[in-house]
Amino acid sequence: MILGIDVGGTHTDVVCISKGEVVSSMKVETAPDIVESITAGVSSMNIDYDGIKRVVLSTTLTTNAIIENRLERAGMFVSAGPGVNPKSYFLNRDFHLIEGAIDHRGRQYIPLDEPGVERAARLLKDSGIDSVGIVSKFSVRNHYHELRIKFMIEGRFKYVTMGHQMSGSLNFPRRIHTVFFNAGVLPVQARFVSSVKKAFAGLGIKSRILFLKADGGTFSSSAAERLPVETIISGPAASIMGAFALRPDEKCAAVLDIGGTTTDIGLLALGLPVFEPKGISIKGLKTLVRGLKTVSVGAGGDSAVIVDKGNIQVGPSRKGPPCCLGGTVPTVMDALRVLGYVKTGSEDKAVKAVSDIASACGMNVEETAKTIIRQMVGIIKNAYTDFLEDVNANPVYTIYEMLHPETVKPEKIILIGGPALALKTFIEEELGIPCVVPENYDVANAIGAAVSKTTARITLLADTQRKQMICPELEAEDIIPPTYMIEDLKSSGERLLKKNAVFLGLADDYGIDVVEEQCFNMVSGFRTVGRNMRLKLQTRPGIIPEFRRKASG
Amino acid sequence: MKTGRIKAKNRTGLIFFPAYDWEISAFHPERKERLLYTHDQVIEEGLLDIEGISEFKAGIATDKDISRVHFCLPDIDSVITDSHRISAGGCIEAARLVLEKKVDRSFALVRPPGHHSMRVVHGCRGFCNINMEAIMVEWIRTNYPHIKKIVIVDTDCHHGDGTQDIFWHDPDILFISVHQDGRTLYPWSGFPEDLGGSGARGMTLNVPLPPGTTDDGFIYVAENLIRPILDEFKPDIVINSAGQDNHYSDPITDMQFTAGGYARLTEIVSPDICVLEGGYSIEMALPYINTGIILSLAGVDYSYLKEPDFRPDRFKQASVEMKYIAGLCDSMLNYWRKRQGIPLKKEGIVERRKTVRYDTDNIVDRQAEFKKMCDCPGVFRIETRASTGNSATCVHIPRGACESCRSQGIEWFDSAEGFDFVQMQDMDKDIFTSRKG
Repeated sequence: MILGIDVGGTHTDVVCISKGEVVSSMKVETAPDIVESITAGVSSMNIDYDGIKRVVLSTTLTTNAIIENRLERAGMFVSAGPGVNPKSYFLNRDFHLIEGAIDHRGRQYIPLDEPGVERAARLLKDSGIDSVGIVSKFSVRNHYHELRIKFMIEGRFKYVTMGHQMSGSLNFPRRIHTVFFNAGVLPVQARFVSSVKKAFAGLGIKSRILFLKADGGTFSSSAAERLPVETIISGPAASIMGAFALRPDEKCAAVLDIGGTTTDIGLLALGLPVFEPKGISIKGLKTLVRGLKTVSVGAGGDSAVIVDKGNIQVGPSRKGPPCCLGGTVPTVMDALRVLGYVKTGSEDKAVKAVSDIASACGMNVEETAKTIIRQMVGIIKNAYTDFLEDVNANPVYTIYEMLHPETVKPEKIILIGGPALALKTFIEEELGIPCVVPENYDVANAIGAAVSKTTARITLLADTQRKQMICPELEAEDIIPPTYMIEDLKSSGERLLKKNAVFLGLADDYGIDVVEEQCFNMVSGFRTVGRNMRLKLQTRPGIIPEFRRKASG
Repeated sequence: MKTGRIKAKNRTGLIFFPAYDWEISAFHPERKERLLYTHDQVIEEGLLDIEGISEFKAGIATDKDISRVHFCLPDIDSVITDSHRISAGGCIEAARLVLEKKVDRSFALVRPPGHHSMRVVHGCRGFCNINMEAIMVEWIRTNYPHIKKIVIVDTDCHHGDGTQDIFWHDPDILFISVHQDGRTLYPWSGFPEDLGGSGARGMTLNVPLPPGTTDDGFIYVAENLIRPILDEFKPDIVINSAGQDNHYSDPITDMQFTAGGYARLTEIVSPDICVLEGGYSIEMALPYINTGIILSLAGVDYSYLKEPDFRPDRFKQASVEMKYIAGLCDSMLNYWRKRQGIPLKKEGIVERRKTVRYDTDNIVDRQAEFKKMCDCPGVFRIETRASTGNSATCVHIPRGACESCRSQGIEWFDSAEGFDFVQMQDMDKDIFTSRKG
């Protein structure tokens, strides 16, 4: 049996899957203490805990810690060298600039200022900081400066995050943000992982616990303790993976997960979830965290409805449950209840709530209910249109891609989330695309968490002139001969993935995709002096075979 | 918590097209990875994430876009590749972004380059096949007729002889080329006395600088010649052909300009649109110069930008050279200010003969140009006979041509004999015709 748990802002969903079937599901309100919500959800299910082989958690813990400014204080060592003024990227007074520079090919041209590291370390230690981040420019080409700083401060701080471990991609400001967030949520996540483990042990569940990442893949709890930043924005990823699991044969479809407060929008293209190419953003800061391309818009079933100068305004916030369920502020759900699209809660209370709105803007009740719903769907439509425009606006860098443009145009919308079924006809009408509402649509996100495969991605760089091959994420380095070719780099990558499968938390059945491949001759004085090769490998994101069989059959 | 974000003062659009699948040949300076390290630097610096700086897709230049500028022989597809169409199309997109007010400024960081391409094209010269800036200028004037006065400041180390040739007779386009002295470098042209055709005298300005010119010399020219001219001329649009081969590490030139200097130059010239031209120090210069130009265009602090091996005391301009440069600026400014006082021939046909050498494709072209002198910009025809065996008569009826010039052009087109091809550009009607000779 597999347990999937999605802790959302409004509800915590739990599903139990056995032999490819959802055997039990539960929705409870999310309590302020996440562990409490999880135990409440799991313990109210009537299942045999002994049979649980896999537990996957998707939570808003790291996301909320960042958004609500509940990060642990983290100190930062930043080594930049020339370029954009690095101090522009300092987020607080715990950032320290360290002299030293590495260039785009990974050559050191200003040595590390070791006394500067020492000074910064002492200041940070004296101010009681436990968690530090280390970032140098071009550290994914040569991580020597980051390693050197870590070596120098070894043992003095409880948690250390280094830039090259986060991602193999270039982008110094994003690396700074990613490391800063990781360092800030590390202690929070560490405490959470240990209390979740304790809670599950208390319930008698002995299975291993996995966490869902923003890219729709899962990783082990030990990896989650090391790289907690990868779990930000995993909620929308759970939704998309859920839609993917429930409708595995859709080639090009948009996913709308309509929740209580927000609607998350995502995309499946060429039969796979679509990624944010450079990394996801959180709290207005861009990171290198690989994630599915999603956008959240403040329109959900519980979105508050108010009248402003005679105009109906829906959302963007939620002010408690719908009136039909005992709330005080009219919501979209009340409008749906009035029109009979949902049957839960009190009809009288819903009618009363919508009548108040109706009289404030001089319309009848039914008309008002329809206007509320159309407004809410209109907000979703605008966000959806912008989202698609953004997906299709990516620049290309080769003549081939320029002459063979690929435009993503969804043929269908997969609707999931509590109000999905009730809103289906409205959304079909407004967006003009056929919608499908799969079975178990109301707990699709928990299913997505439960059945997602473990994933990892590595970057490999080879420079035959410098006789060096590196993989920053795994801190691997090798000396290579001048005859080394891109195929050799590919086999090195496959070997590295295999060797580190346990460390990366990979299951046995991972397939490997090449997501980026470049090979350039380096010429100096009209003579080829070497080859510069770049390769990104990822294990294919997807659904575990246990579930996938059922959905396809 | 601070925002940790930089905001651009000017909204800046970047068209980045490195053409990773195109090269002249594997060992040629103009090869696949020319913009690879620039791309690495731009991404690592996070420039595209700066608020106000955005990346846009390049476009593809059409036959018509190209025909507004060039007479391609025997035809367009024989002298260019798809990459040239995208490079020119990237420039058109850069212009569109500015004119549609999506951004305040734009930078077409594209290859292959174009400023050595002249009006008649038989092949590739100076790594260039078609002239991106000229194609962009004609696209702008066709689609935005209210834009009349355009300045092209060419800061490539090589004389922009192609752009000069194309706008030689154009009274509305001011072309200023700052380059290493033509007595010491390809294309061996671009001297102070070359001031434009007699209907557009003073609208071509050449500033040949001595080899070894440093930041001091370049910035002096920018502050004391280019800036005052721009202030007086008050153009609708300023374009910078931003070649980057004046850098001290460039392998095929002899100047000593720095990345910081390029950023400062960009700040002084304040172009609306920048276009990458040459620059072949692909590891040691281009990544830093392009970063500098982007920061400067966007109005973001570039004071931390320098090359890995930069030392502030490394290059000093000798005082005798500074004196020479100051004198040159004075005389060029004088030429510019007195341009309207230069007596013009008002009638008859002025004939000009020249030999155009195509170094890259090894072609020699002998041309004769016949220009009708008139109160309007004046029709002209070029007779071209290249070593490829192709010959042609090419008639150009300029924007604002009078009726008499128009009928003269049509007569030339109809009566031309003894050539393989006869082509005609009718700019006002935006019609381009071609026939076998």
